[in-house]
Amino acid sequence: MSNARAARESATIYMSDVPSIRVAGIHKSFGPLEVLRGVSFDVPRGSVVSVIGASGSGKSTLLRCVNYLEPPNAGEIYIEGEPLGARIDARGNRKARSLTEINAMRRELGVVFQQFNLWPHMTVLGNVIEAPIRVRKMPRKDAIAYAEECLRRVRMIEKANEYPARLSGGQQQRAAIARALAMRPKAMLFDEATSSLDPELTDEVLGVMRELATDGTTMIVVTHEMSFAREVSDRVIFLHQGVIEEEGPPGEIFGAPKSDRLRQFLSKYRR
Amino acid sequence: MSDALKQSLDLSIFLEYRAILLQGLIFNALVFLGAAALALSVGLCAALMRINRHRPMRLIGTIHVELFRNAPDYIMLVWVHFVLPLLIGIVIRRRVEFHPFASAVIALGLVYSGYFAEAFRAGIQAIPQGNLDAGRAFGMSERLILRRITLPQVVRRMLPEALNLFVSMFKATTIVSLIAVPDLMYNVSMVIQQEMRPLPLYTGAALTYFLLIFLLSVGVRHFSERWRRKIMA
Repeated sequence: MSNARAARESATIYMSDVPSIRVAGIHKSFGPLEVLRGVSFDVPRGSVVSVIGASGSGKSTLLRCVNYLEPPNAGEIYIEGEPLGARIDARGNRKARSLTEINAMRRELGVVFQQFNLWPHMTVLGNVIEAPIRVRKMPRKDAIAYAEECLRRVRMIEKANEYPARLSGGQQQRAAIARALAMRPKAMLFDEATSSLDPELTDEVLGVMRELATDGTTMIVVTHEMSFAREVSDRVIFLHQGVIEEEGPPGEIFGAPKSDRLRQFLSKYRR
Repeated sequence: MSDALKQSLDLSIFLEYRAILLQGLIFNALVFLGAAALALSVGLCAALMRINRHRPMRLIGTIHVELFRNAPDYIMLVWVHFVLPLLIGIVIRRRVEFHPFASAVIALGLVYSGYFAEAFRAGIQAIPQGNLDAGRAFGMSERLILRRITLPQVVRRMLPEALNLFVSMFKATTIVSLIAVPDLMYNVSMVIQQEMRPLPLYTGAALTYFLLIFLLSVGVRHFSERWRRKIMA
């Protein structure tokens, strides 16, 4: 067992029965193209689930469905037992949530994008405090104090007053991680967070992600970094053509893949 | 140089009347400010309609832009001042008259709202989708995203073009004398009728506009550029 995993298990004292995130039967189509065809899995609190698969397998769409950036056509996402897209009233009827309610729910999930998506007209600190102040209604002073803590965590505190345009990709991505952390999310979603980085910048971002995992952060990580997935995840999901082809603990997935497709996919990374 | 030429080129007469001429210039500035406020707010609304996901809204936005962008300033001015009150009067069955100043603001504001709408639209559409996704992912409402993420970037992006539009708009304020708004040109014409010396007076007016617009736009460009550049990679 990896160090990160062992440390996390000892750090997670309280484990509730309700999973942090439950993905239940998600379907998503874009016109005639069926991208997700019924995907279900649980992310227990404090655990790391990695999603691997070829380009076009639906990994990123899955993550965008988890926080309703793409509302699923069928199925539901539960955040600590609460359905994200609908409310169940006292009589057990399902009622679709308004956009305002969905907004309130999805701020519980911190998202880190492949393209960083920092707001270019704000400094690093400005990016990190924006949502806590405007959405969480945190007093500015508290927001700044916590933002600085988050920036220290990703080792970006010295760059707090720089604009994104003056930072390297790795620095931008670490700032984006701090921005997501500052909302005190219940879970973090990483959408190929290192895919648009030069190899020498990948490690600094993976290092930060590894530390978050060690600290017991609940995470869904869509990634092409197989060694990272193997080392850090509690569970690995292999997505193929919009369905889960195989899933299991990293030892099994990488050590003893059962399906031909997974074997084929993994062989490309062993070269 | 003949005395007649010397006298006609002597711009000191322009200075003699500086009080009344300055008063006129203040009217230009007021028309400009009013029309600018109208053009920016109506322009933003029209731009948001043009990129709305509902087709009828988009259509209204497009009609607005094409109608006002393609209407000559002068014709709009005359139409708003003389025709629009008549039409309103027929509808509400009462005699309506627009104050020349109000007509000037409305006409110029509408014409330039068409141009500003296009500048806003181009600016809004140039913002990467990911910027908006990030806002949504953190639970920001669409209105908050517009105010905090989209518009601050749009303003920086469209600034050079907006500056050009403001210059054209200020120059366009000179035609309001045609509906008897007592602006600089109007007052110059009044003085010319008295003094019979059009050459120095018109030249003085031209120089005044040139210097004012030139200095203002150079100044604004200078101060805005550094601020704007910060966000560009």
